[in-house]
Amino acid sequence: MKTERRLSSFGLKALVAIVLVLILQPLLYLVIRASEKSSSQILSLLTREKTIEVLALTLSLLVIVVFVNVLLGTAIAAGLHYVKIPYPRLFLVATVLPLAIPSYVFTYTWIALFPSMQGLWAAAFILALSTMPYMILTVFTAFQKIDLALIEVGRSLGLSKVAIFFRIILPQVRRSISAGALLSGLYVLSDFGAVSLLNVETLTVSIQNLFKSSYDRGAASIIGILLFLAAAVFISFETRLKGRDFETRGNEGFQNSIRRIDRSALSLLTLSVLAGYIFCAVALPLYVLVSRFLANPTAVAVTDLVTAAASTVSVAALGAIVAFALSLPLAFLISQGKGRFTTFSEKSILISHALPGVVVGLALVSFGSRLGGLYQSIYLLAFAYAVLFLAKSVASTSTSLALVSPQLKEVAATLGKSRSKIATEVVFPIALPSMSLGVLLVFLTAMKELPATLMLRPTGMDTLATQIWSAASISRFNEAAPYALILVAIAAIPTFILTLPRTTSKEVRENEIEKKVRFL
Amino acid sequence: MTSLSVSHLTVKFGDREIISDLSLELAEGEIASLLGPSGCGKTTLLRAIAGLIQPNGGTIRFGSKLVGVSSVVLPPSKRGTGYVPQQGALFPHLSVAKNISFGLDRSQYSRNEISQITAEMISLIGMNGLEERMPYQISGGQQMRVALARALAIKPKLILLDEPFAALDASFRDELRTEVIGLLRSLGSTALLVTHDREEALVSSDRVILMRDGQVAQSGTPEEVYEAPNSAEIAASTGDVLTLPARKSTSGLIEYPLSASGSSVGDSQSGYVVIRPEEIRVSKDAGKGQEGLLRHIDYYGHDAMLTIDLTSSHTIIRARVAGPAEFSVGQTVYLEHLGPVRYFSLR
Repeated sequence: MKTERRLSSFGLKALVAIVLVLILQPLLYLVIRASEKSSSQILSLLTREKTIEVLALTLSLLVIVVFVNVLLGTAIAAGLHYVKIPYPRLFLVATVLPLAIPSYVFTYTWIALFPSMQGLWAAAFILALSTMPYMILTVFTAFQKIDLALIEVGRSLGLSKVAIFFRIILPQVRRSISAGALLSGLYVLSDFGAVSLLNVETLTVSIQNLFKSSYDRGAASIIGILLFLAAAVFISFETRLKGRDFETRGNEGFQNSIRRIDRSALSLLTLSVLAGYIFCAVALPLYVLVSRFLANPTAVAVTDLVTAAASTVSVAALGAIVAFALSLPLAFLISQGKGRFTTFSEKSILISHALPGVVVGLALVSFGSRLGGLYQSIYLLAFAYAVLFLAKSVASTSTSLALVSPQLKEVAATLGKSRSKIATEVVFPIALPSMSLGVLLVFLTAMKELPATLMLRPTGMDTLATQIWSAASISRFNEAAPYALILVAIAAIPTFILTLPRTTSKEVRENEIEKKVRFL
Repeated sequence: MTSLSVSHLTVKFGDREIISDLSLELAEGEIASLLGPSGCGKTTLLRAIAGLIQPNGGTIRFGSKLVGVSSVVLPPSKRGTGYVPQQGALFPHLSVAKNISFGLDRSQYSRNEISQITAEMISLIGMNGLEERMPYQISGGQQMRVALARALAIKPKLILLDEPFAALDASFRDELRTEVIGLLRSLGSTALLVTHDREEALVSSDRVILMRDGQVAQSGTPEEVYEAPNSAEIAASTGDVLTLPARKSTSGLIEYPLSASGSSVGDSQSGYVVIRPEEIRVSKDAGKGQEGLLRHIDYYGHDAMLTIDLTSSHTIIRARVAGPAEFSVGQTVYLEHLGPVRYFSLR
């Protein structure tokens, strides 16, 4: 048995190593491209005024959006959980809905209303609107998990409500605020559509410009590496900031006994903030989309719509399946317990979190000619999706596998089942529903992806995202509307699933939302 | 005939030795329990026997068949042991019937045989009519029974139960335990039961194996380990004890606070005696043993524990009596030690 286990775990580790090598390809390509430049060229590119300006703009945008998110997002989550308001569940769903609207759709609906909108503050406004749900969801879930007994202890020790919030509640949700900041910050760094439409030259836009206008792939690669490093630094900064991990004891069965603060002034304030946010982030964009569509329902031929939807679905599905397949070895390795190699692999996978779509697209495009038949095929695009969303896929697959307790596998072994039978008769049947949800979420995220799709799609192939972008970037808002409506309608499905309370066991349910947030 | 024989078994987790040079044997049809504090290695031993972990040394035999040495190990799937883990661990995606028939392989049994064995098992555990229920639709006790039926269905040579009743309500636990042990006895199964509940070990097994720090500290019938423990620590693990300082003379006379003689025993070595609280008779009549002051009464319903301060030596004695009504705190009482004098010398 010892040798058998060693062998199979060796095989698994070899598979994981292959996956790691595969997903690190784009980064390798970038480095190779960049190294074609001389060091003085690299230095002058990095120190020229333009680069510094772009970097400064990107970082300012990052700081503003994260700052607004931390303050407003936490406040909204606190209001949703602690203040007495009518239909709290409905408000929760409404505040999460913006996740279904890609940032470029957001931007174009706002520009359609206010054509003069542009610049740093406009971009900060749009990106804060579209990333706020990350913060609200993570922090809201954290509030739900706080042991109510702790609040009662605080009250019995004579603490005021304000003191309880700052001294008992906030320290416990700090990690979640930090996680929400990470999600929204990475989104800002990798966003291309919104900033591009608003004429804000961030790193992503700069890469695209260098690549498109001057075909200077070496220079684009250098900026790409810079962007990757910025994201990596941001991730490690977040890891430091979030502080020590501690266990929160969930409150069992008391979920409903939370006493919401019943003060009309506070309720009114909460309601108006919520209404304002939902108006800006949901109602207005949807109004613009629908009214633009109705203004000229035949702006786009139905066949074009169907073709775009079909290619979107097929390439996104392919990407989700490839991501799932690539995530399986590592997910199995994680489910077998921790080891040095496992921890290393998990950390490496996180790198894909720091690889914005523009960077992956650029890397694969600039090596396109060497990829032979893969170049300009949907397979290369699907691979790009797989690289981009591998971390999400690994998170979902490994949490699904964690649903199968080791005890069940042991019992099956004592009942005469071989390893392969245990996998087919116990592990997969139990983990499959949750795994397929993970694949679905990656699929829907891939559907919304813009920059890598723009760079890697086969000539002549249009997806919903690229159609919206090309119409919106030349202000043909009526033409973009039907595509956007379809995309938002499809993307709303997983967003809705996300807020559904699920009827699995309590323990599983506790981590459900938090887990799902990690997919987005 | 020996059903299980473990000899010189050693299991290490990293540098830590969990089981050290442990040997034990189980006769066919014998029900034994492994009793010990958490962390003493009892679950590890059970898992090594099931083949779920790899021993570092020693051998495990089922009958005459060698199933485990440190170099060659028969995988758990080939051992034919029935394993019942804590809380049952039913497959959540399978119905009661499917759980029970899980280990019955198509290559060994026909479809008919499988459904016949399953039906037998269902009626054996008294769950007729619940075959199609899913695990979350039945109670904790029923889940435990299904887990047992699942293990029994493969007709195992040995059943391993890992604290199967620990998670159940106290009121319900005794009933299910009686039922399960009765079932195992009627089938003539050989079983090894891991428990940390001393009552459970005494009441349900032919043999109690007491474990300490990865070794067998004592093994014997429930009466043997309870009446004649080989240390004070072992005595405490099977029931309440009173440990009193004692002296033993060269002639074998033992003097301790409750000894009848009361006289000094001259040339002696010092040690202690271990007494069970129920071996002390408490009475209100003067002259019947040593005088003491009743300080406190812990009332348990079926009996009561009295805390008594001996007048002569100011030793605190705890004695168990049936009815507490006749005593009251502050009263003068008289104590007599009836039971065996278990003397242990100080090392």
